[in-house]
Amino acid sequence: MHASGVKRSFGPVRAVQGIDLDAPAGLVTALVGPNGAGKTTLLLVLATLLAPDAGQVRVAGFDPVTQAGEVRARMGWSPDVFGLYDNLTAREYLEVMAAAYHVPKATRADRASYLLELARLPERADAPVHSLSRGQKQRLGLVRALVHDPGVLLLDEPASGLDPRSRVELRDLLRRLAGEGRAVVVSSHILSDLEEVADRVVFVDAGRTVGQHAIGDLPAARALRTYRLRALDPEALRQALERAGVGWSEAGRAGVDVDVLGGEPSAARLLSELVAAGVAITAFAPLGGALEATYLDLVEGTP
Amino acid sequence: MTASGVLTVARLEFRLRIRAGRWRWMLGAWFAVLLGLTALVRAAASQNTIGNRGTRGAVMFGVVVLVVLALALLVSPALAAQSVNGDRERGTLATLQVTRLRAGEIAVGKLLASWGTALVFLAVTLPLALWCYLEGGLSSVRIAGVYLVTALLLGVVCSLSLALSALLARSTTSGVLAYLTVFALAVGTVIAWGLLTAVTEQKVAVRSEQCEDYVGGTETTPPTGVNCRLVGYESSVARPDRTWWLLAPNPFVVLADSAPAGPVRRITLPNGEVVEQPVDVDVLGTLARGLHRIRATPREVTYETGTSYEVPSGVTGAAVWPTGLAVDLLLAAGALWLTTVRLRTPTDRLARGQRIA
Repeated sequence: MHASGVKRSFGPVRAVQGIDLDAPAGLVTALVGPNGAGKTTLLLVLATLLAPDAGQVRVAGFDPVTQAGEVRARMGWSPDVFGLYDNLTAREYLEVMAAAYHVPKATRADRASYLLELARLPERADAPVHSLSRGQKQRLGLVRALVHDPGVLLLDEPASGLDPRSRVELRDLLRRLAGEGRAVVVSSHILSDLEEVADRVVFVDAGRTVGQHAIGDLPAARALRTYRLRALDPEALRQALERAGVGWSEAGRAGVDVDVLGGEPSAARLLSELVAAGVAITAFAPLGGALEATYLDLVEGTP
Repeated sequence: MTASGVLTVARLEFRLRIRAGRWRWMLGAWFAVLLGLTALVRAAASQNTIGNRGTRGAVMFGVVVLVVLALALLVSPALAAQSVNGDRERGTLATLQVTRLRAGEIAVGKLLASWGTALVFLAVTLPLALWCYLEGGLSSVRIAGVYLVTALLLGVVCSLSLALSALLARSTTSGVLAYLTVFALAVGTVIAWGLLTAVTEQKVAVRSEQCEDYVGGTETTPPTGVNCRLVGYESSVARPDRTWWLLAPNPFVVLADSAPAGPVRRITLPNGEVVEQPVDVDVLGTLARGLHRIRATPREVTYETGTSYEVPSGVTGAAVWPTGLAVDLLLAAGALWLTTVRLRTPTDRLARGQRIA
C-alpha cells in the first residue's frame, strides 16, 4: 500500500495537508501522531470512504476512488468508533458481514466460527451483541475486518478498550497477520504496544508526515536515553557503576536509573561491562520506549 | 446492483426491526383499534336504510380503508425516516459501506425493509376487508385494487422518508421533516389547491341593474319613476378544472379515485326500467365523483346578466388518479435515487455535522 501527497479539507479545516505513507506487505506499519493530526482522515481515504482532494493512493495496487470495489475486496478496515447491531448475535453479525463481502454462502458459517475463535468469543457466539463487554465488542469489530481474508488491514485505534491480556493477544494477532504476508496499518496512542508490534513507524503531525522510520532506527534511540537497571544485589550494582565511572540516580526499590549516550551500542557495552564485573543484572531496559521518546520530541518540538 | 446484495441488506434490516420493537403488541393494538372502528361503522351504517340494501359492506369498507391509509401514513415515516442517519449515528453505516455492497443495494434494501414493515401493518387489516366483503355490496376487485394502491402509496412515503434520512445529518430532524412531508401531501395539497383556485379565478363580465335613490326592497321590479340602468362590472368564477392537478398527488385522492368500480344500487322505475345508481354514502365513491366534477371542463354559459362557466349536470372529467399516482411514484423514484447518491462512497463532500464513521 502506498500513499503520497494525500490532501483533504473539510471546508476551511485542512485535516490532511500532505501525508505520505508506505505500508509494505508482510509488515506492521504504525501510524502515530497527536489527536487531530489527520490519522483517521487518512485511514478513511485508504478505506475508500473519503475521496482525497489531491494525492496518489494505491491500496493493494488499486485506486480507492476509481476502483473502490477492487480495493474493498482486498482491504479490511476497523474504525476507531464503530457500532454493532445490538440485536444480532455475534455469529449472526459475522455471517451478515461475510454475505456483504460476497463470501460464498457455503463457507460463511465456517468463517464465522474461525473468527469467533480468533476473537476468543466462541462461548459468546450466540449471545446478543449488546450483552458483550466493551473489550469483547472491540474484538468482534476487529475480526469483522478479517471476514473476507483481506490482504491489507487498516486498524484505527484497535487497542482502545482492550484489557492487558487482549492487548497482548492483539499484538500477537497483528504479528501473525503480517507474517502471513498482509500489509497491516495500525494507528494507536498506546505507544509501548506499538513499539513491540510495529516494523515501521510513520509519524504525522498537523496533517503532514513528519517521518517514516524502521522501528530499530528511531531518532530517539540514537540520542540520550535513560535506562533502568536492577540487580540481585543493589549495592554491588552501585559500586560497579561507580567503578565504571557512570553516573546514576536512585529510583528506590525499582532500581537505579542511568543516562546512556550514544544509542543502543553504548547500552549494550554498559550491560556487558556490568555482567563482566560479576553483577547479577535482573533488569536492563530503556525507560519509556524510543517510540514514545520520538513522539514526545515531535509533539514538544511543534508548539 | 444485484438481488443478493439487496436481500442481504433487507434481511439484516428486517431482522433488526423485528427484534427491536414489541411488534406483537403494536400490531395487536393496531388491529384492535381498527376492528373497533369497523364495528362502529357497521353499527352506524345499519341505522341507515342504505346499510341494509346489500351495500353495507361497501359503505364500511370506504370508511375503513381511508382510516387505514391515514394511520399507515402516520406509521410509515417512523419506519424509514431514521434509517440512514440513525445508522450513521450508531456507527454501523460506514462498516456496511466499506463492504462490497453497492450504494444502490443498501438504499433499495433499506427501502424494502421499511416498506415491508409498513405492509405487515397493512396486511393485518385484511381480515377487516374480508368482513366488509361478507357484508355485501363489495367486489373482490375493488378490495384488491384499493390494497394495491395503498401498498404503493406507503412505499412512496417510505422512499421519501428514507431520502430525508440520507440527506440530513440528524435523525430527529429527518423524522420531523418526514411527518411534514406526509402532511404536505395529505393536507398541504388541499390547502394549496384551494388557495390557487381562489387566486386564479376567471374574470367574467357581469351586468346588473342599478337604480338611483333606490335601496331595494322586496319588489322584483323597482317602482316607476326610479331611474335605472344596466351597469357592467367584472366578476370572477372559480375554475378548479385548471388546478385539479394540485390535488392529484394527495394519497387520499389517489386511493379514492383509483378504487375499481364502486357499489351501485339497482332501482326499478315505475315503468319497469332498471337503473343503476351509485351509493351516495360510500366515501370512496363520493370523493371520486367530486374529483371528476372538479376536473370537468365547464361550459361558457351566457345569461341575461352576463357570462359564467358552469359544469353541466351529468358531465364528469377524466380520472385524476393516473396523474397523481404517476407523480407520487416519480417522487419516490427520485427519492430513492437521491438516497443512493448520498450513500455512494468515496464521498466528495459531507453535510454539515455529518460524520462518516
